[in-house]
This record gives sequence, C-alpha cells and structure tokens, in this order.
Amino acid sequence: MSVPLSVTIFLPLAAGLAGAVLPRGWARWTVLAAALAVLGIAIWMVADYPAGGAGLRDLTNQQWIPELGIRYSLGVDGLNVFLIALTALLWVAATAAACFREWDRPRLFYFHMALAETAVLGAFCAQDLALFVFFFDLMLVPFYFLIGSWGGRQRVRATTKLVIYTLVGSLLMLAGAVALGVLATPAGGHVSFALPVLAHRLVGKGTQEWIFLLFAAAFLVKAPAFPFHGWMPDAYRAAPIPVLVVFSAVLSKVGMYGFLRIVVPLLPQAAQHYQTLMIVIAVVSILYGSALAFSQDDARLVVGYSSVAQLGFILLGIFALDVEGKGAQGAVLQMVNHGLVVAPLFLIIWALSARAGGSESLGRMGGVAFRAPALAGLFLIVALATLAMPGSANFVGELLILFGTFSTKLAFGLVASAGVALAAVYMIRMYQRSMHNRVGAAVESRDVTRGELVTIAPLVAVIVALGVYPHFVVARTERSTVRQERPAASLEHASETGGQASVPPAGTAELGPLGRAP
Amino acid sequence: MTAAGWGWLILAIPLAGCVFVSLGWRALPGRSAGWIASAAVLGAFASAIGAFVSLQQRPPAARHVVSIAYSYAHTAGVNVDLGILVDPLSVFMALVVSGVSFLIHVYSVSYMTSDRGYARYFAYLNYFVFSMLLLVMAGNFVLLIVGWAFVGAASYLLISFWYRRTTATAAGIKAFVINVIGDVGMVVGAFLLFRHVHALDYGHVFARSAHVFSVDDGTLVAACLLFLVGAFAKSAQLPLHTWLPDAMEGPTPVSALIHAATMVTAGVYLIARLHPLFERAPTAADVAAVIGCATLIFAATVALVVTDLKRVIAYSTISQIGYMVLGVSTFAYAAGLFHLMTHAFFKALLFMGAGSVIGAMGGEQSLDKMGGFRRAMPFTFVAFTVGALALGAFPLMSGLFSKDAILAFALHRGGGYAVLAVLGYLAALVTAFYAFRMVFRVFWGDRVPQAESLERGELWHGEHFNPATGEEEDTDVGFPGPEHHIAEREVPMRFAMGLLAVLSVVGGVVAIPGVTSWLENFLRPAFSDSRYFEQAPTHSAEWVGLAAGAVVGVAGIALAYTFYVRRRGFTLELRDRFPRLHGFLEGTWYFDELYDALFVRPAARFGRFGRTVVESAFVQGVVIGGASGVVRSASAIARGLESGLLRGYALLLLAGLGGLALYFLLVSS
Repeated sequence: MSVPLSVTIFLPLAAGLAGAVLPRGWARWTVLAAALAVLGIAIWMVADYPAGGAGLRDLTNQQWIPELGIRYSLGVDGLNVFLIALTALLWVAATAAACFREWDRPRLFYFHMALAETAVLGAFCAQDLALFVFFFDLMLVPFYFLIGSWGGRQRVRATTKLVIYTLVGSLLMLAGAVALGVLATPAGGHVSFALPVLAHRLVGKGTQEWIFLLFAAAFLVKAPAFPFHGWMPDAYRAAPIPVLVVFSAVLSKVGMYGFLRIVVPLLPQAAQHYQTLMIVIAVVSILYGSALAFSQDDARLVVGYSSVAQLGFILLGIFALDVEGKGAQGAVLQMVNHGLVVAPLFLIIWALSARAGGSESLGRMGGVAFRAPALAGLFLIVALATLAMPGSANFVGELLILFGTFSTKLAFGLVASAGVALAAVYMIRMYQRSMHNRVGAAVESRDVTRGELVTIAPLVAVIVALGVYPHFVVARTERSTVRQERPAASLEHASETGGQASVPPAGTAELGPLGRAP
Repeated sequence: MTAAGWGWLILAIPLAGCVFVSLGWRALPGRSAGWIASAAVLGAFASAIGAFVSLQQRPPAARHVVSIAYSYAHTAGVNVDLGILVDPLSVFMALVVSGVSFLIHVYSVSYMTSDRGYARYFAYLNYFVFSMLLLVMAGNFVLLIVGWAFVGAASYLLISFWYRRTTATAAGIKAFVINVIGDVGMVVGAFLLFRHVHALDYGHVFARSAHVFSVDDGTLVAACLLFLVGAFAKSAQLPLHTWLPDAMEGPTPVSALIHAATMVTAGVYLIARLHPLFERAPTAADVAAVIGCATLIFAATVALVVTDLKRVIAYSTISQIGYMVLGVSTFAYAAGLFHLMTHAFFKALLFMGAGSVIGAMGGEQSLDKMGGFRRAMPFTFVAFTVGALALGAFPLMSGLFSKDAILAFALHRGGGYAVLAVLGYLAALVTAFYAFRMVFRVFWGDRVPQAESLERGELWHGEHFNPATGEEEDTDVGFPGPEHHIAEREVPMRFAMGLLAVLSVVGGVVAIPGVTSWLENFLRPAFSDSRYFEQAPTHSAEWVGLAAGAVVGVAGIALAYTFYVRRRGFTLELRDRFPRLHGFLEGTWYFDELYDALFVRPAARFGRFGRTVVESAFVQGVVIGGASGVVRSASAIARGLESGLLRGYALLLLAGLGGLALYFLLVSS
C-alpha cells in the first residue's frame, strides 16, 4: 500500500491554499501539518524501498498534453527516494523554525513555503522531461516572493540577480529540453519527453554536445558552481533563515539531480566529451569556494561559499564517470549529507545571531559556548560532519567521490583532495570564532531554547545515524544510480581501451518503454 | 568470552562512558563525572586483559581474530565493514593505551576539580580513549582512518579546552588542520592500494599486495609515503611537527595523555601495523628511518634551550617518537613498541610532575621563574626525577632497555643504519642533559617565593594572566580554574604518579636481553610474516650497547649537573657567546616562520584576492553586466516583473519557446 505520488506532491500546495483562505492564525499549522504528513509518507517510502532495488515505483503515468507528447509521469527509484525524504524532512524543520516567529502576511508566507515544497517534490519525482522543466521553473516563483517580500537588507538587488541568473539558465534549459525531445523523435514517430523513451532515442554526438551545454548552464547556476555563483552572496544575505534552509539545502540539489537524472543518461556522449570541462569547474569550485569560505566574516557567507565547494565535490563525483559508479554513488550520498548539514548550520547561525545582538558577523560573536554547552555540542557535530570527518556519512560520500575520481582522473582527484583539508580550516574557524575565544561585546550567551532544539536536534540525530550506518543509503541508491551512469561510463571505458563505443540505453535491462517494469 | 567479544567491549565501554557523561553532565555532582569516566577506562583496561588472556589460550597461529559487526558501506566495488582485528599487536596497544589512560583519568579527577568544564573535560577524555582504541582495534583502512580522525578531533577539543584563551584556540586549529592533512594522505594512500588490490581490510590488502607488487614497486612506495604523511602528522615528526609544542596549551593531563603517551605514538603503531607493506617497500621505510633520526636530533637540540617547562617535555616527546619511528622503520618492531610502552610511562609521569609544579607556581610555566622546589615538593621531586632518569636512560631504568634495543638493532643491520644508530647515541647524550636541565632548574637552585610559601604550607595563587601572551583572563567564569591542585596534597594524583614511577623503573623487565623476552614472545604471532622479526642482534652485542647507552646517559646527567649546579651561569655565557645559534634553536629552527610564509599567508592572500578582485570585479562586475547597462536594464526588467511576475515570466517562457520553434522551422525547411 502506498500513497499516490500526486497526493504527496500536491498535499503541501493544497494545505497552502487552505491556509490562505482559513483564518490568519491557522496558516502556519495547516502548512506544518502538511509538511509533517509528507514527511510521514517519505519515511514510509524509504522504509518500504528494498535494499538493492532499482526500478521505478509508485508510478503515475498519464497523458497531459498529448499534442506535444508531454506526459504527467512520476516515479520513485533509488536515485530520488532519499532526496524526497530529505526535502520532506528539511521542509518540516524550516516550517517549524518559521512557526516560532511572526511574519507579515503569514498566510501568503506559508502559501509560498508550501508551493515551494510542491515544486521541489515535483522536480524530484518527474519522469518526463517537460514535467521536470515545469517544476524546475515553478520553484523560482515562491522563492522570488519569499526572498523579495520577507527578505532582509538589499532584497530587491538580491532577487533581481537571482531571477536574472536563474531565468537565463531556465530558458536555456527549456530550449535544450524542447530541442532534445524534437530532435530525438525518429522519422514518423511521435514526439515524447518521457525519460525512459528518450534514453532509447539518443541523438547524435554533435547535437548532444550543444544540448548538454544548455542543461549544464541551468544546473550549474542552481548549484551554484564557480563562476556562476554571482547571485549567491546577495541572495544568501537577504533570505530569511527558514527560507534559506530549504533554499540552500534542497534547491541546489535539484540541479545536481538533474545531471544524474537527465544529462548523463540522455546525453552520454556529450557527458563523456565535456567530462574534463565539468571536472575543472568542479575542482575550481572546490578550491575557490573553500578559499573564500575561510576569508568571510559573515557567517551565512561562510556556509554559502562552503556550499560552492561541497557542490563542487558532488559535481566531481557525477563526472568521475568510473565504470563501477563510485563517483556517482558518492555524489548521491553527498547530496543527502550536504542537505542535512547545511540546514542545521543555518538554524544554528540564527540561534547564534540571537545571542550576538542580532549580528551574523563572526567578528562580533565569540565565547557563546560558555553558557550554551548543548548548542555548542550540536554545532560541533554539524561542523565536523560538514568538514567530512571520517566517521560521518559525509566522509563516506567524499571517499567514494574521490575514489571514483582517482580511478578516472587521478590528477584532478589529487587537487580536489586538497579541498578536504581546506574544509577543516573554514569550518573549525567558524566554530571557533562563534563558540570559542573571548566573549564578544554584545554577546549574551544562553543555551538552546525549546524551539531551537526541536528544529536542530532531529537533524543532528539523522546526521549521527547516517554516520553510524551509511550502508542504509548506499545499498538503496546503488542500482538506480549506476544505471544512470552506465552509458556514459562505459563509453569512457570503451574510448580508453580503444574499442568501438557501444551505448546500451539507460534502463534497458530493468524497464520497458515508459518506465514500466516488464 | 571470546577474544572478539573482549575486543568489542574494549570499544564499547569508553564510548558508553563518553555518552553517559556528556548527556548527564548537568546531573552529575562533584567529582562523580571524573570517577565514572575513570571507571569506564578501567573497564576497557580489564577487557583488554580479557582479550590478552583469551588470545594467549589460542595456538600462536590462531591469534588473529577478525570480527565484523555489520556492513558499513558496500557499494560500487568499495566494501567496508565495521570490523575489528584482535591480534597481539592491537591488544598490546589497547593495554598500553587504556592502562596509561586510566592513570591519567585518575590524576585528572583531582587536577581538574575546580574547573568549570569538569564534566565536559571527562566526556572529551573518554571520547579520546574510545577513538584511540578504535584506531588500534580497527580491522580495515577505513575504520583506521575513522579512529585516526577521531583522535585528531579529540585532540583539538582538548587543546582548546580553555577556549577563552586565544592562544589555546589558535593551537587547536593548527593541530586539527595538520592532522587533517595527514588524514588526506592516508585516504590517498589507501586508494593507491585499493586500486591494485581491490580491498580495504588488512588481511586481503596484505595478502594480495604480496602478489601484486614487486619489491619497491613505485605505487607501493608512493602509498607507503602517503601513509607516512599521516603517521608523521599525528606523531609530530619533521616536517609536520609544529603543532605539538603549541598543543601544550591544553590542560597538563591532556598533554600527558594525548600529546605524549598515546595519540602521538599512533604513527609508530601505523608503521608496525603496515609492516608487510613497508618491508616490500624498503625505500619508504628508509625514508621513515632517516626522518625519524633527523627528528630526534632536531627536537633534542630545541629541548636544550626552550624555557617553557611543558614545551621542553613536548620537544622531548617529538625526539623520543623519533627513536620509535627509527625503530619500527628499521624493522625493529618489538624494540620500537617496547620504547612506545616505556615512553608512555615515563613521559606521562614527567607531565604529571610538571603539572604539579605548575600548580605550585600558580600557572606559571617558565623555567626561568622556577627553582628550589626540592624541599617544598618531595613527592613530586622524587617522581619527576624518576621520570627524568628513565628518559635520560640511566642504568637499569626502563628507558635504557627500550632505547638501546632500537639502537642495537640498527647497529646490527649495519651500513647506513649504523650511522643512524650512532647519531641516536649522540642524541641520547643530549636527552640526558636536557632531562636533568629540567630537574636541576626546577628543584635545585635558589628557592622562588612560590616554593617558600609552599614550605610554609600555603599554595600560591597567581594572577590570572595567559602565560603565553600576558592577556588578562576572565576569572569570573572559573577559567582556567580558581584553584590549583598539586600532587603533594591529592591522593588520586599521588596514586597515579606513584604507580607510573614504579612502572618507569621496572617497565624494562619485559625485555631484558638474555633474561626475558616476554614482549617479543607475545608479539611474535602478529609479525609472523615479517622477515626481520627474528633478526635480533646477539645478547652480548645488546649488552655492549646497553653499557654504552648507560655511559652516555650518566655522562649527560653529569654534564647537566656541572652546567646547572656546579657552574651556574655558564649556560648564560654560552648563550651570549653564540647568540645566532641560540636564536636559531630557540626559534625552533624557524619552521613556523617558514610555513607561515609558504602556506598560511599565501592562502590568506588568495582568499583576499578572491574576495576583492574576483568577487567584486569579475563576478559582480563583468559577469553581472559591467558598468554599462546590463544591470540597469536587468533591474528594469525585474521591476517590470515585480508588478506581475507570473505574467512576465510566462511571457518570457513563451518568447523562448517561440524563438526555438522559429529556429527549427528555419532549420528544417
């Protein structure tokens, strides 16, 4: 028994709409209840997903716009099941954190939060390229309003940049998607955007290459990767913390997920062709993001630039393209891990600024740990997980990514591993400047409030649990992830051995057309 | 219970102690946190004895027990289990670690009494013991790296335990980062092995590398050198030693436990554990031997001139670990591990004595301000002197037997190794000299006011200044403790120091050449695949070495007596006559300045460059649109969007679609 995916996806939106018409005070509770319900369903999905599972489950597959060959097609497999769970979990945390504050126009605020959850869940579940594009672009709308209307200083500038960057990326991707669907249609066939169908209809190498660039632009902006991160500092500074929690922890993953779900399996030759370019972008993001992270004073930007570096690692894993899929597996695990650490980091920054006279500058913090040992302990665990200390699931993720990269691109892997040491510098520096050292002038230290505890502690518990047993994740993601990478990775292998490239379409073994298990 | 069962208990009990103390910190009254933590470590020690007994009951060939709890991560060809290895080597390490840790816990129960972070301290300390035991019990490379990193984190937490001291937090971050560099080296090294042997557990890696790699295979040498990066970062060997002297910012029992007795010897354990690899890559082993020898000389010379009592002992630690590294990398495993054990005893003892003296000085650590404590602190005096005798290799002390076993083995191997051994003997002279430089400067000479007041029965309480910077400290938060505790007055401190003093004297009994070979016999099964384990020098050669070592030790002590008691002031003359040399040594060969110029400042400059030039000029300027127009027109668009975002957005999407359709129309026609 399982809940139809459509219900899961649109439940938050329905709650948001209901909250918008119900009395003012009810909005937060309806949206929170919906987020909790989605979390319940997501936990059930994860629990129900078998170790070693591969095929799509909970399929919904209906005609949507038959004239354009667009289907309303949703499904869950090992690749997205944990990302759905991550989304559900972090939305509960963010909504709950928001519930402890008062917001102007609360009904509208919570409506946008709910709409955003629907859009993200839709993007993760979509099995039709056009549907994915629809949800991907839909994500921008609520965040535009959430940052633009409830944001802090310079929010107009921030949203302007955000919209320009993302919109350009989205339009390019839209063009790429349309082109892919049209060009892949065989003579006399019908246009289809269904991902399993497109996996069988690979376009020529030259076509793959320019379509690849269109998609890559959208996804790299979303991540953000160097040098497409120009919108990030302003947007991060302006966003309200609960919004930033999901914005940074989940939205950046949609782009990376897009690479694995769409770009690599549908454009394998291009993925192979641009492998070095993408790895260079990844490595530069790692080094540049780390270097900036340890020279920032604004705590949010430390985390922001550290995300640039961490997303660089994920990108590196995706384009390691090793035959066994170590890099991709590490990337999927790291997507979950990074979401799990970034969200509590921003919540902790919120808690810290509440103790440092409202300032988020590291220079004005200091000595908070003295009367806040529990907060210091939670922060410590999160900080160590962020720097991928061995023993955390983040370490397993980075280990797999590095092993995958070493086996195909040893030199780049070695440069990237310097990023591991740099992460230690910026995270420990941030922990130390806020928690340790002499007490800042405006610092008034006190331990975690109940509100902070209920939002942060469960996330920390999940971090610890995954650190103890990361096999739970990798056993469930393995077959789906490796299947996405196999065409491109075996191409790589073939070109290495000088053999004829043969491209088995992604998913042939397990799936019939339209993703139905035979 | 089976050996594996004991092995898991060794890990479980300190972990449980750590969790219990850290969750219950608010409810634990008085010294109970300290006693609970001590009991947990005692439990680990008892389990280690259990493992020892059950191993000894097995036939030698079967003293190699692998136990797997569950799959940690099995995916994409990388198979990692949560598994431990119980063999003589791991049990030996577990015994030393948990035994010495227990005594240091007991010492800390008193030493830290008045500290406001009492429970936090013991939670960290138990976490450290758990991590260190995980490191030595791990059955595969990944778990080894986990333990490796955990001890690094515990070390960081305890170095910056008094976190309001900026010097302590700076020392903490330095230690942590250098340790992470070591971790990265180990990860890359593990990959180089993995690439060829497709396994990460010791058994498979060692068995397969014997077939896959020829002797001195390039990959294998590279992998071993990368593991040495990890070993040297943790064991503070050249050139990654700079964090250890700074680590003395931590409370003194921490210096005794982590930065002398246990964690910093992990590199020695690592080389011994990976001996099948190093014996197949003798080039890497030789590199390690040379670095070990260079380190032991370097650190001994610095210990001659440093005036901070704890730093003298810290440099001495670096130097003594140099001996151990020299031992295990010339394949004298039993000797290297022997010295690891005796050093744990006498170095922990020296630090405890130093902690007691520093307590009596009210927190002051400079040798220049100490003197004449002999009568005021008789117990500390005796214990510290016993430690110094063992360190200085006085006849029949444990340190003599273990140090000489290393040097005799190197002499026995001949050639270049003999040169290293001779250098080792020279450094032993320096060692004995600086060991008694401490003794004579602290306990002989004119009595300082602190010693006088202690003789009257009053414990001196100094001003609350950071001894390193002179900064005033926040006494309102009880940092670093309003009172000090000295061994003369506290039973737990006396108990720990007394037991360690006995062990420092008699610890050599486990391996007296020609008389006992208990240690060798016990370790033998773990090194059954070694070609060198049985190649010990003859007993007569060892006794000749012992005699030479004893002469060197006594000579060093006599020299120190002449310089610091008979002809006081002579060293000051020397300092004035050779100011350059003195500055060079006191500046610790200027390693810190070098790294600052090579790495720290360039990295900071790069960050600044990124922030000012790349971010503001390139990303904000060029990418967003430069001076002219793009930003302005974009914001005009955005302003338009603000009024009706969805409409404008839909229009834009439509425009994109239209443009694309037009393109394809043109292309297809």
